Amino acid sequence: MSDKPGFLAAKAPSAPTVKKSVRPGPAELPIPQAEAHRPAPGSYVVEVNLKPEFADAAGLAALRMLHGAGIAAARGVRVGRLYDLRGPLNLGHVHVALRELLCDCVTQEFRLCHGAVAASPNSAERWRVEVWLKPAVADTAADSVRAALGDLGMPEVAVRCGLAYHIAAKCGRGQLDKAVARSLANPAIHLILVHEDR
Amino acid sequence: MPPLAQKTRTPTALDAAELAAVQSHFRALRREPTPAELETLARAWSEPCRSRTFAGPVRFSDGRKTRRFKSLLDETIVKASRQLNRAWCLSSFQNDAGIVAFGPKWALAFKVEAHSHPCAIEPHGGAETGVGGVIRDVMATGLGARPVLNTDHLCVAPPDYAGPLPDAVRHPRRVLGSVVSGVRDYGNRMGIPTAAGGLWFDDAYRLNPLVFCGTVGLLPAWAVRKEAKAGDLIVAAGGRTGRDGLRRAPDAGPDGGDASAVQVGHALNGKRLLDAVLAARDRKLFRAVTACGSGGFAAAVAALAAGRGARVSLEKAPLKAPDLAPWEIWLSESQERLLFAVPPRGLDAFAQACAAEGCETAVLGEVTDTGRLVATHAGTPVVDLDLGFLSRGLPRAEKAAVWTAPKPTGAKAPAREKGLDQILTEGLAHLNVCSREWVIRQYDHEVQGGTVVKPLQGSRHDGPGDACVIWPHAATGDSDDFQGFAVGHGLNPAYGRIDPYRMALACADEALRNLLCVGADVSRAALLANFCWADPADPEQLGALVRAAEGCRDAALGLGVPFISCQDSLRNRSTDVSGKELAIPGTLLVSALAPVADVRKSLTMDIKGPGNALYLVGSTAEELGGSLFHQICGRCFGCTAPAADPRAAAAVFKGVQAALAKGLALSAHDLSDGGLGVAAAEMCFTGGFGAALDLDKVPRRSPIYSDAVLLFSESASRILLEVAPDREAALLKALRGLPAKRVGATMANPVLKVAGLDGRVVMESALSALKSAWQGALPGRLG
Repeated sequence: MSDKPGFLAAKAPSAPTVKKSVRPGPAELPIPQAEAHRPAPGSYVVEVNLKPEFADAAGLAALRMLHGAGIAAARGVRVGRLYDLRGPLNLGHVHVALRELLCDCVTQEFRLCHGAVAASPNSAERWRVEVWLKPAVADTAADSVRAALGDLGMPEVAVRCGLAYHIAAKCGRGQLDKAVARSLANPAIHLILVHEDR
Repeated sequence: MPPLAQKTRTPTALDAAELAAVQSHFRALRREPTPAELETLARAWSEPCRSRTFAGPVRFSDGRKTRRFKSLLDETIVKASRQLNRAWCLSSFQNDAGIVAFGPKWALAFKVEAHSHPCAIEPHGGAETGVGGVIRDVMATGLGARPVLNTDHLCVAPPDYAGPLPDAVRHPRRVLGSVVSGVRDYGNRMGIPTAAGGLWFDDAYRLNPLVFCGTVGLLPAWAVRKEAKAGDLIVAAGGRTGRDGLRRAPDAGPDGGDASAVQVGHALNGKRLLDAVLAARDRKLFRAVTACGSGGFAAAVAALAAGRGARVSLEKAPLKAPDLAPWEIWLSESQERLLFAVPPRGLDAFAQACAAEGCETAVLGEVTDTGRLVATHAGTPVVDLDLGFLSRGLPRAEKAAVWTAPKPTGAKAPAREKGLDQILTEGLAHLNVCSREWVIRQYDHEVQGGTVVKPLQGSRHDGPGDACVIWPHAATGDSDDFQGFAVGHGLNPAYGRIDPYRMALACADEALRNLLCVGADVSRAALLANFCWADPADPEQLGALVRAAEGCRDAALGLGVPFISCQDSLRNRSTDVSGKELAIPGTLLVSALAPVADVRKSLTMDIKGPGNALYLVGSTAEELGGSLFHQICGRCFGCTAPAADPRAAAAVFKGVQAALAKGLALSAHDLSDGGLGVAAAEMCFTGGFGAALDLDKVPRRSPIYSDAVLLFSESASRILLEVAPDREAALLKALRGLPAKRVGATMANPVLKVAGLDGRVVMESALSALKSAWQGALPGRLG
């Protein structure tokens, strides 16, 4: 225990003060720039998408939500799943993980996300929005993926899961930022990365 | 890792009086408190952990006289329940949940908890942890109960709300959709049916939605009592400890900071933990169990070792991240964790039972008899607190409560701007009445195979049920036992805007009526109360809360039905875009649980065929304050909320129950929002048969000269029964002395026809139109 005379030496309050109620909603958090989340060296970020010939129900739902959030110009949305794998893995491990676990190769296709993400212009016709849980938020889906990778004989790795929205909409960056925060993600728990989809 | 004393966290939850009390305590000990000790006290004395307002002293003035309550809860709801002293109440206001007897071999644990603030921040995750939290509490009730039913009740703003909202507030449509998906994702994955609940829409919930999650659990009668003994090992089981729930979202930085704003549920971990608890319980491998909820290990260890003492080593806790500070381990609210008191000789068997279910365990320390709560981390002291000071040291400041009785306005004849058929159609399409199928269909209400009376009823399985009936023996394997139980709710904040006392009476009455209509034995019912209020520091708000608590007390005594649990959430006020404070309406949810002697004889509310008589039991008065009619037509007559008479209601319930037990009714439906008109319409379109009503026959307490009042009054304690012609005499005999009259008959023609006081047909509506309005409202408003 400390012998610093901090708390005991403080002047005792004379009268109780009424505690103010705190509004439960979070202060609106600024959407981080794309630079805030780049794959770290030695890590693999993979994206799994439905093949173009398959209807994307999740994309249709996301499209509807964007319309409701004010992006009337949105013409289509495709949703992909993102996996950030970090640990003593090589490319072979990642391909096995994708083929055996993370991707249904009949209906889905995958790609590795390399290097820096695309620039984030003020306006564009096609956007790519990544939504990740913040590092301090428990990622239960990632827990399951990590356990399943262990069952496949992979080395122990850290996993985070996210979503990638490919949005066809001619709109401004600010407008999209706001709409995504109101519909597809929650800034209280999510990191949102918006950039042009090339 | 820096020593704890060097950390400078401010215990923001302690107010000045509490800080002074803590300061005085440590001055006497001649040492500084550690930050973890301050946090422990702050959490233990916080409103969620300790109902400071409800359990504290209140000075109540109603303008004529002033009364003092040493403890508002103890002197109202608890006192009434103790006075009733029902033998089947095995545990009230003590355990993690209330417990009632269920036959000779079993008991039922029931708890409902509001989880509103997390749902306002992150609706999906908040709802998940709301459901997960109450399931965990039921798992930790007694020596462990198996959850057999989940309930959820939501109070939100209309989904098409078009007014301005602060930037950080989620739109009501998103809140509703995400909360429903959160409840679904956790409950369905745990394999627990969600078969009871409700929705209430009001603009005033746009900043502070309310989410009530409930769970009923089944446990053997022998497992009701638990007690840890000195020398027992304190064992943590389930999920790992992380930074979940350590900070509020407004404090979290854009990168998430060093702590999570919200907890995230993990249903699969919850299922593993449940299976481990039940396996260990049946082998009697532990003496006590408690849930890690609000306050984390700090609250759970104190609860487990209540009256004794405990010593734990925090470095032994399994962690999600290796860099957690000791105070974070101590106070983390990570989900799916339980603490057990395990006798040392049974530790290996206990660990094996948990491991067999994939559930991680760790011995944190032991129960002592020192009366102290001691926590260390790698030999460094973290907390050393006197349990007596922790539980009784909270300063009890008296709060002022003021109540001003509403002034009754004179009864006026209704202005007939809308026809009765139009009012009925609009009433059925009202958000607080319309079909909840959009929500119900997202939940699995069939899993476990014991849902006998389902939330959607009728030949097309789309009508509104009064309550659900669950046969839990699908889980126990006791297939020759046909006893089940029913769960129903009562909630109506619109009445509370006029008089919270009457709201409380009406809610208790409605909850029991709902049970009665499915054939439950309401003479053995138990009630739960959940109060959500805006701000207890406001004397008028607190006055309304006192009135509601007194209403619960009088309802319990009059109806002869005890409360077994009471929870509160008293800070639900936020700042609107205009800078004004927006308070929720005082909201009371009364949940009721009662046994059903034979689930095969349960009733549903749909009309079963043509040519049957319709009997209305219970008298009608001119009570339209806060009613559906009031909301649709913008006026009320007399503006008095329904005044339930609990003793008269008890007589009605007893008579109706006796009649239903003899099989004298084919269907039963309670009259609540929208009165006779809405109840009859719901029965008709659910069954697919029409009905003709004669308003002149409606039993009434005082003269009523308006067809609209007779059709839409929301007087309490009324039930509409469908009776076969050859059973009418027997029914009247069973209901002798009660206000019961034949008010109409069913017919094959699919219309609802109503004859007014003068004998003329005042309303005739096609059932298809009524049902269409009822079914289309919510999907239409969701867009």
